[in-house]
Amino acid sequence: MTRVLTRQTWRLAPPAIVAAIVLAVWYFGSYVLIDADRRFLLPAPHEVVKVGFGDPANLAELLAALRLSAEVALTGLICAALLGLALAVLMSQARWVERSLYPYAVALQTVPILALVPLFGFWFGFGFSSRVLTCVLIALFPIVANSLFGLRSVDPALHDLFTLHRAGRLTRLVKLQLPAALPAILTGLRISAGAAVIGAIVGDFFFQQGEPGLGQLIYVYPRRLQSEMLFAAVFLASAFGVAVFWLFGVLARRATAWHSSQQRRPYPGAPR
Amino acid sequence: MTDDGTPALTLEAVGVRYPDGTEALDGVTLHLAAGEFTAVVGPSGCGKSTLLRLAAGLLKPTAGTVARASDRLGFVFQDPTLLPWRSVRRNVELSGELTGVPARERRARAEDALRRVGLSHVADALPGTLSGGMRMRVSLARTLTGRPELMLFDEPFGSVDEITRARLGDDLQELFAADGFAGLLVTHSVAEAVYLSQRVVVMADRPGRVVGEVAVPLPYPRLPEVRFSPAFTALTSQVTALLQGGTADRIEVAA
Repeated sequence: MTRVLTRQTWRLAPPAIVAAIVLAVWYFGSYVLIDADRRFLLPAPHEVVKVGFGDPANLAELLAALRLSAEVALTGLICAALLGLALAVLMSQARWVERSLYPYAVALQTVPILALVPLFGFWFGFGFSSRVLTCVLIALFPIVANSLFGLRSVDPALHDLFTLHRAGRLTRLVKLQLPAALPAILTGLRISAGAAVIGAIVGDFFFQQGEPGLGQLIYVYPRRLQSEMLFAAVFLASAFGVAVFWLFGVLARRATAWHSSQQRRPYPGAPR
Repeated sequence: MTDDGTPALTLEAVGVRYPDGTEALDGVTLHLAAGEFTAVVGPSGCGKSTLLRLAAGLLKPTAGTVARASDRLGFVFQDPTLLPWRSVRRNVELSGELTGVPARERRARAEDALRRVGLSHVADALPGTLSGGMRMRVSLARTLTGRPELMLFDEPFGSVDEITRARLGDDLQELFAADGFAGLLVTHSVAEAVYLSQRVVVMADRPGRVVGEVAVPLPYPRLPEVRFSPAFTALTSQVTALLQGGTADRIEVAA
């Protein structure tokens, strides 16, 4: 029991110390470096909590925005995951499909998608669907790239084993390639989840219209000089991103317990 | 077992030339009788593994013909080639699953094969939690479920330690004695080749070809002590001499 506690302490202490230092610097900046009449530039942490999360009306506004952004991000991520995996499977089946499609997947990654956001608004309006589209485009590439890598990296000897048993394409895909690629697919999904959150917030930031998500609030608050609310919204957006990333990390560990990267080391200090 | 005199495996003047002109194998002729256990030794890169891939049908020859008497073929790879996300039992069942053996039947065969290699107690474990030798035994068990009439071994014990290797060799001998399959074992260990087989085929490289063979008249079962007998030493010397007649600078003679 004590040993478990000690280990927990060791795990949590370093980040807690960093958090304390950041808060101290924050307070120092807020009360010492900045004059009282310009304190709105950096409101003290407890003020942010009091105004942003303590006031029921403000909290409701923030949570409604968070809910909208979360819905956009999640819908976008699901669409990107399904589409990305389907594209990766297609590309893994034939080199010519890969040669035809992959350059465009790469292009998608390098085109500044935010520059396309006004175009989406122009075409599809400023509602839910164009926001989701922004998310999909931002989140698609990591899934395609990682899944394809995973599907292609199957041990050739295992392919030989399936060939010896005269396994067809579908059997090979379902019983060999997809399970073998699962760790890579989940890594892609994790990266994409983070990207989808960014897409939801930044897309919303650019849209400026329709129901407000976190992005619009982050745009509006500084213009109303509501700096406590701005800080609260930024904090909520960051926390949301971290939570999604963490969630997919846990999911990945659960689903790939068999993978060598997840196996317990035989003795403390053993090489991975 | 086909005892009508048809060889289990026939390679007739087989050649493999890669598109870049490299001659991997040239004019290799090898007949493997039903129930016969033959070993192939040779230096690295002499085409031993290519020979085995030809025999398995994983590779088509560019010259000559390859014929097998039966489709019941077992292939034991250099590595255990297990699916790490499946339990030991489900790995052993894979063979039947891919060839359409009914679930009840393949489960029974898997139980039986695991019992024969002494691994029933780890049937529900994941391969990642087993030792290298145990994983190799799981791989053997998977092959056994197909009731093979021809077994091909591609340096199957190369990745395990010396002691485990000797034990696996003895296991293999037992399975061979009980099932009477024809076996073709590729190895770079002269001692292992002589210990396990009835005939050692010696290959040389550039291009890969057969340079001779040595019959091994030692009776089965062979006990570990046989390795220290004068007859055994004489046989390994003969094989080694043939190997040295090839390219003497690239021989690997494992103890």
